[in-house]
Amino acid sequence: MKTFLQFILFMAMAAVVILMAIVLGELGAWYFAWLVGTGMIVLITAAGGALLDAQDEHAAHAASIKTGDA
Amino acid sequence: MHDINVVDLSRLQFALTALYHFLFVPLTLGLSFLLAAMETVYVTTGKPIYREITQFWSKLFLINFALGVATGLTMEFEFGTNWSFYSSFVGDIFGAPLAIEGLMAFFLEATFIGLMVFGWKRLKRGQHLAVTYMVAFGSNLSALWILIANSFMQTPTGASFNPVTMRMELSSLTELIFNHDAQAKFVHTSIAGYVTGAIFVAGVSAWYLLKRRHVELARRSFRMAVLFGVLATAGVITLGDALGFIGGQAQPTKLAAMEGLWKSEPAPMPFNLVAFPSQKDQVNRGQLQVPYALSLLVTHSMDGTVPGVDRLQQDAIARIRNGIPAVAALQSLSAAPGDAFALATFHAHEKDLGYGFLVQRYAADVTQATDAQIATAARDTIPQVAPIFWSFRVMVLMGLLMLAYFVLAVIYSMRNNIEHQRWFLKIAVWMIPVPFLACEMGWLVAELGRQPWTVYGMLPTWMSASTHGVGYMIFSLIGFVGLYTAFIVAEMYLMVRAIRIGPDQSHSGEGAGLLTDTSQAARLAGYAQEA
Repeated sequence: MKTFLQFILFMAMAAVVILMAIVLGELGAWYFAWLVGTGMIVLITAAGGALLDAQDEHAAHAASIKTGDA
Repeated sequence: MHDINVVDLSRLQFALTALYHFLFVPLTLGLSFLLAAMETVYVTTGKPIYREITQFWSKLFLINFALGVATGLTMEFEFGTNWSFYSSFVGDIFGAPLAIEGLMAFFLEATFIGLMVFGWKRLKRGQHLAVTYMVAFGSNLSALWILIANSFMQTPTGASFNPVTMRMELSSLTELIFNHDAQAKFVHTSIAGYVTGAIFVAGVSAWYLLKRRHVELARRSFRMAVLFGVLATAGVITLGDALGFIGGQAQPTKLAAMEGLWKSEPAPMPFNLVAFPSQKDQVNRGQLQVPYALSLLVTHSMDGTVPGVDRLQQDAIARIRNGIPAVAALQSLSAAPGDAFALATFHAHEKDLGYGFLVQRYAADVTQATDAQIATAARDTIPQVAPIFWSFRVMVLMGLLMLAYFVLAVIYSMRNNIEHQRWFLKIAVWMIPVPFLACEMGWLVAELGRQPWTVYGMLPTWMSASTHGVGYMIFSLIGFVGLYTAFIVAEMYLMVRAIRIGPDQSHSGEGAGLLTDTSQAARLAGYAQEA
């Protein structure tokens, strides 16, 4: 039941997004561009933060291997 | 007849309060979405340091938001106190977006800010993240409504003048909201805020890295800020071009002033890189030109042309002559609302009503206006070229400088060695004022370029002000300057104090563990070697 309700919720959200895309695409292309662009900027920014952690972990792992070799 | 000193003082007062207010707004717009990005990493990775990062920047966001709201409030009242004729003339249109902005700012934004600040222990991670996104959207959407109202002043659409009620009335809310100028201006302004937020976070993080304090917080904040900033700067430059393209078609006088274009020229037109415009003689002194570039920049074609001041003034003379019967008809309708002939005359000339108002400044009875008075009124349609020309160039220069800075910052950050580029970190700290300056210049271009109109082509500025005395205006101007300067000083003091104190680690003991991990130890060893 919970999965079904989640499915309905996400489908409703998808329908709203598609409707917004049609309305905004027709009347307010710049507003639509702002929504999509802001989403993209935020996600790339968040990915950049996560990537820094991955780089640090990789560097720490490499350093520990070197120490082990020695 | 309005005292022109009162009009100028009213303009100065609004300009100063708007410029003060706009020192706070861009940071709120940008920092809110940066907070959302930081918290997104916290929720998706579960790493407590991102919670600490989000909480620290939230504190600075809150200081800025509180003072931003305080400075914005008075501006809404200024419309009523200093611009009463304007308010009655366009209140039907202007009131709705302004009221929605108030609701957005005070109900949506303020409510969710409360939840964001006090909800860390009361809300689940996902719920708190949703709240942070709502704060970001609320901040930007409240800016949207102000910009919709402003864009009506720049490019009036969705409304018409009613000669019976003697005021403008809303005819289409959809046209008002989806005004092309509003769309381009909102996206440009909002993303300029992102750039401001990014430079602020990167600059403060750089200061921590220089001081070797809160290094883990600073490295992550710097990385996220510069990625946010490089994308936003590319966007703001592109959208600035789009806004110039849209605005140039709607307000050719503003475009002519931005480009220092006194004489119309055949395509391809040269671009004035540097010039010293003389309003009196309508020429540029000491100009340095780039051949063909203007046509390409403003029309996106080598064959395109835009009119110069000479042609625009000629067009204005024709429009003033056409607008005079509309003003005369309006005066007849004022005395006898049922006058069918006057109504028919008004409708035949209403498109140039605003131009008819322009000459009323020089001739109380517009039907008796002389050629010289009409020529003077036509000359008034050209805004002050020199401040617009230079504000525009400073803004563009700042934009390009920020793009270069962010590209370098992303390279250093992605190579994961930003801590060792001390010269660059020092530059990053000095970059903090740059986006604020660019935003202020942008507003000067937009608002000075709209002159001599409050509503472009419809209502001249000289008619829009209230009929106060000069003494009252000077007194209130001094009061505003004193109060707002105190706000700026308070903001600077609170910000610097919060930055010096740094993140409060007492409530997030989990994050402290990161400061002793292997990578951090290796980094500190690197610092020791450098030292």
